[in-house]
Amino acid sequence: MSGDAPGRGLLTRALSTPDPRALATGVMALLGTIVVVSLMVAALGEDPFAAIRTIIEGSFGDTTAFGQTLMVAVPLALCGAAAAIPFTARLWNVGAEGQMHIGAFAAVAVALTLPALPGPVFIPLILLGAIVAGALWAGLAGVLKTAFGANEVIVTLMLNFVAILIATYAITGIWPQGVAPSTEQVPDSTVLPVVWSGANVSLALPIALAALVAAWVLMSRTGLGLQIRSIGLNPFASLMNGMRVQTVTVATFAIAGTFAGLAGAMEVIGENKALVTNFSANYGYLGIAVALVARLAPAWIFPSAVLFAALQVGSQSLPASTGIPTSFGQIIIAAFVLGLLGARVIRLRYAEGAVQ
Amino acid sequence: MLGITKRFGPVTACDGIDFVLGRGEVHCLLGENGAGKTTLMSILFGLIPPDDGQIIVDGTSVQFGSPRDALNHGIGMVHQHFMLVPEFTVAENVVLGSRPAWTPRFDRAAAEEEVREVARTSGLEVDPRALIRDIPVDVQQRVEILKLLYRGAKVLILDEPTASLGPAGIKSLFEGLATLREQGHSAILITHKLTEVTAVADGVTVLRGGRLQGSFRQGNTDEAELARAMTGGDIAALPVRRAASGGEVVLRVRGLTVKDTVTGRNAVEDLDLEVAAGEIVGIAGVEGNGQRELADALAGVLAPESGTILLDDADITAMPPRARHAAGLGVIPEDRLRWGLVADLTLAENLALSDISRGGLRRRGRLLDLDGMQARAAELLETYGVRPPNPKARASQLSGGNQQKVVIAREMSRQPRLLVAAQPTRGLDVGAIDYVHRQILDMRDRGGAVLLVTNELEELIALSDRIAVMYRGRFVYRAVTADADVDAIAMAMAGISPEDADAQPGAAMEVA
Ligand SMILES: Nc1ncnc2c1ncn2[C@@H]1O[C@H](COP(=O)(O)OP(=O)(O)OP(=O)(O)O)[C@@H](O)[C@H]1O
Ligand SMILES: [Mg+2]
Repeated sequence: MSGDAPGRGLLTRALSTPDPRALATGVMALLGTIVVVSLMVAALGEDPFAAIRTIIEGSFGDTTAFGQTLMVAVPLALCGAAAAIPFTARLWNVGAEGQMHIGAFAAVAVALTLPALPGPVFIPLILLGAIVAGALWAGLAGVLKTAFGANEVIVTLMLNFVAILIATYAITGIWPQGVAPSTEQVPDSTVLPVVWSGANVSLALPIALAALVAAWVLMSRTGLGLQIRSIGLNPFASLMNGMRVQTVTVATFAIAGTFAGLAGAMEVIGENKALVTNFSANYGYLGIAVALVARLAPAWIFPSAVLFAALQVGSQSLPASTGIPTSFGQIIIAAFVLGLLGARVIRLRYAEGAVQ
Repeated sequence: MLGITKRFGPVTACDGIDFVLGRGEVHCLLGENGAGKTTLMSILFGLIPPDDGQIIVDGTSVQFGSPRDALNHGIGMVHQHFMLVPEFTVAENVVLGSRPAWTPRFDRAAAEEEVREVARTSGLEVDPRALIRDIPVDVQQRVEILKLLYRGAKVLILDEPTASLGPAGIKSLFEGLATLREQGHSAILITHKLTEVTAVADGVTVLRGGRLQGSFRQGNTDEAELARAMTGGDIAALPVRRAASGGEVVLRVRGLTVKDTVTGRNAVEDLDLEVAAGEIVGIAGVEGNGQRELADALAGVLAPESGTILLDDADITAMPPRARHAAGLGVIPEDRLRWGLVADLTLAENLALSDISRGGLRRRGRLLDLDGMQARAAELLETYGVRPPNPKARASQLSGGNQQKVVIAREMSRQPRLLVAAQPTRGLDVGAIDYVHRQILDMRDRGGAVLLVTNELEELIALSDRIAVMYRGRFVYRAVTADADVDAIAMAMAGISPEDADAQPGAAMEVA
């Protein structure tokens, strides 16, 4: 019969309160989004049902579409983990975008500077390089926060711009390819092999799934995971019970960076075979939404990422079959996230009654 | 209230309870930890919906969907944890939230006048302009009550209101209730202390295990009967206190000064203190006189301004809690929900927090030994009589007293060299208090050192080998318990020195 730990805002709780009715809220928000978006489509003079059908067919309609959705879900899911793990500790990492760029930079650096090696050796080395780089980059934000009391939202956001500049420099300054806005191509032996050729799904998918399993194990089966959860729920009692809150903070950021760094690397040694300008369609930022929809639960991150990937991939077919522009997909995603947050805030208010 | 039933999963917190409160009556609600008192009152205040039963107010059946509905029917509740904004004034806190959010402008002067008016008619004196953080707890409690009166409450529900008060605060609370009763208000008091029941109650209702054990009128019952109804048996007396064995000094505090983080004043000033092995030193004082800051500084969560803290001759002054644990410190913090427990974690996790911080409870391969955690938790919950003894329950699902038992179980099981126990029995029922007292005495007898901070005089005298009273950050009275004088202690707590007992109350004293 107790309340929450002190000092938790309604919005913060809306983002992370464990709740058995979470799924119901999600479904409600999805239905609400469909209604609102349909109205908007109708207002544009288009047929909403045709638009919905187009999105579904464009993302799940055939093996190719499904494969494409899965491959977009890979970076989204990894960036989702990069947001969800620190969020659980109430550390607001909005830096997955930058951590992913640093991972991509490290990947291309390893791939282009090491002498030719066979794939089974080379690929793990590249991924390892990217993971370490992502961890260091994100860990830097953690250090700035714990050592100087910097606000992690601002720090991680600013580091995004720096990271993107570094990646751009790789493209224009270090390993320019010439005309195309990309680096030189990585050696063929480093490219992730396709594991499901019908759908053009590469090894990136099983690797991402394994990473998510690792995230789940970390959060629910290790002492560090318990400390991350405990600090997020009540930093005071955590400190009193002997936790090294600052060390765990830095470690949490570093762990988040490994997931984002991995995502960046797999974009480089995936279909692109190079570090390409704008390779990330805002995956780092969308990861935040993915994490929120998954309610920060590692087990729900992949389904959540697939949902977002489907919207993204599906809406690319919109202009062809209807008169709606591709960017409408972004509007749908935004509406869904807002609807979900709104539904949760309303539910929390209702549950708490008018206590004050 | 008729036939109120509330289930939480397998637990029936209230099982067909009838509860009757007359107008102008002060009614006590008694029962062991987890008896269902808070649940029953939360139902009456519209915080949780009952599964079954009716609430009848003034002859009409009502249904409360929220506390707002309850307030509209004149029913208000003060929680054990005050819900005041420390940076706001009394007037702002009272008025806050009772007007629509779109009120264009907050008229401070008018609000202060209104609050002064309510305070005057109810006899609960407060300064509407004082900031909450500057006023002592008993006055804060008055503000909580004023908040309800301001909103027109006729029935006041107070959940363990005396737990955080010293003797003087309890006295003034009861006087306030008497005034309100004369004006036709009613009050429901949840308590664990039978002496309070005899002091104020017109009627008493006793719950046990979610069931009604009986309703009594003042004069028709006595403490023994109530105790039997509560526990279903008689309570054995505490074991006779052994003489202190007087071992080597375990805790040595020198010149400790601690600032209050909010006000910036010195909450603890130039304090010297020693606790020896096999000794219990009791520190008494009205809340807000520096005991909390002293305990926090010892626990390592509040950095002192100056002074040193030695534990077994090791300087721990600058150590974080983690290193202090390793050095042999155990802490039962005063505010269990802030410092003691993580409400949304399970009991097994809460009981393991300290071990996990130090990398314990692992299986090979660095994964947590979840089965081991469960098993150990089940054992501890059983030993310490936590209800329900379910390691998978979240701490937030336990009653207040049972949460306290979880903290005690964790700290005691670490077998500390020095135990700092701040209000260790707050919110516990008679049986549980007895158990905790035995545990503390036991620890002392095994050669542990205990620093007990309490505002319960009985507890202080029953357990301590030596006593010190804290007033405005200093010790104003020290004695070996055998020579201590209860009146002198009570007066020292109120700031009256024993030498000039007829001096101005509240005058500061400089007793070494
Ligand atoms: N939200 C909840 N979920 C599950 N069980 C609960 C919840 N709230 C209370 N309970 C259970 O209901 C029972 C009654 O709890 P309640 O808080 O009413 O006790 P109480 O009489 O106030 O005890 P205490 O004196 O310790 O405060 C306890 O067994 C408790 O564990
Ligand atoms: Mg209670």
